[in-house]
Amino acid sequence: METLLKSTNLCKSFDDLEVLRDINLAIAPGERVALLGPSGAGKTTLLKILAGLEQPTSGSVENHAQRTAFVFQEPRLIPWCSVKNNLLFVNPFGDYKEALRSVEMADFADYPPADLSGGMRQRVNLARALITQPDLLILDEAFHSLDLGVKMRLMESIHQRWKAKPFALLCVTHDPKEALYLADRIVLLSARPASVLLEKKEKAIQKREITSPDFLAREAELIQLLSNKAYLG
Amino acid sequence: MKNFWRILAGIAILILLWQLAALGLNRSILIPAPSETLRLLFHNFTTPNMLLAAGQTAWKVLFALALAIFLGLPLGLLLGLSDAAYNLLRPLIMVVQAVPVISWLSLVIFTWGIGWRGPIFISFLSLFPVAVLTSVAGVHDLDKDLLEMARLYRVPWKKVVREIHLGSLPPFIAAILDVSIGQAWKVTLVSEYLCGGDGLGEAILTARMNVDIPSVWALTLGAVLLGLLSEALIKFVLRRFRHAWKRS
Repeated sequence: METLLKSTNLCKSFDDLEVLRDINLAIAPGERVALLGPSGAGKTTLLKILAGLEQPTSGSVENHAQRTAFVFQEPRLIPWCSVKNNLLFVNPFGDYKEALRSVEMADFADYPPADLSGGMRQRVNLARALITQPDLLILDEAFHSLDLGVKMRLMESIHQRWKAKPFALLCVTHDPKEALYLADRIVLLSARPASVLLEKKEKAIQKREITSPDFLAREAELIQLLSNKAYLG
Repeated sequence: MKNFWRILAGIAILILLWQLAALGLNRSILIPAPSETLRLLFHNFTTPNMLLAAGQTAWKVLFALALAIFLGLPLGLLLGLSDAAYNLLRPLIMVVQAVPVISWLSLVIFTWGIGWRGPIFISFLSLFPVAVLTSVAGVHDLDKDLLEMARLYRVPWKKVVREIHLGSLPPFIAAILDVSIGQAWKVTLVSEYLCGGDGLGEAILTARMNVDIPSVWALTLGAVLLGLLSEALIKFVLRRFRHAWKRS
């Protein structure tokens, strides 16, 4: 299988604090993977290492993506630039209108971030990632500050975008629904030091209806896994 | 509004104490009465010569301030970005900051003699370290998450410097202006007094040499009022500017 992103025996420690232990993960182009793990397990650290923002203590990362986009947990918008200029900052030739439309923020292009709510800023954060037309999109609890309605519409927007032109997606979430909606493969991490507990390939869900019996059954199964002692640590 | 009345009351108390001291001492050669000083102040600042002197001092203050910002900011930016450059040049900046004005005066008098260059140079030297160190602090305080975001999206470094580093500086320019304007007036007046060929400082020197103490008081009060006025003007402009910057 062709690999876009691969980590081999990845370990990370901060002084005496071991955070990641022997993480082996491979993501193919166009594949969607959700990472679930307890709070403080080191998921963000893992994402940062995979994106090349941090160095592992040992092990290696191969990232063959031409364009990696990262939706950070916090919006990280430049406060003195308008929403539009925040998007054009990462891709001056990108279609900012389309990117803002896809996150339902088309009317706010000229607003300064300070005038937006937390959820709106987070949507701009997502639009900034989308404007780069990434072949690897990393989402670090990207929807945590959004209400359910907006969250569902944005997940659908990402899904439709993926269907139109597949890209690899790696998301970290605590929400089983989000994981099932966005991903084809679920990876469960243990408590710190995080290591891969379980990988679960999901059957392709054609209709992503969160109230369908199939979806609910899968969610229940995943919740059961998340209640496992090994997962909770 | 309450604050305004409090300030007025404070000024009134100050003038009252001044009047009492003048009456108690009864020697206008040491402490002239406020009424006499204010009369002289009004008289002086309505003559063309004194207005010209005030203008000469004001342009030196503004020129020194502008020079300190235009040279201090880029240097501060560079030192903020490069630890090596910062460690290399920090001792020099600390020395410039620590050398007393009087020592620069000697150097200036020997180099240029009496004239306008001395006050500008000395004011510049007293403001320059503030401008540099404030800019360095600005760069150091910059949100590192923004730089990490720029690195992830492989934004060219020139654009990062322009949009993030330079973009973050306006509040620091405002802080430099805010902190420095009062100091700029004081240092320029002292320099004019000691080595300037014109300006309010030189007018104070002339009044002192003529043992015209009420004029010394009136000119000093005039200089203080001009300093306060320029400070208030700058604060007013900065308030509007800060608002515009936040909205941009």
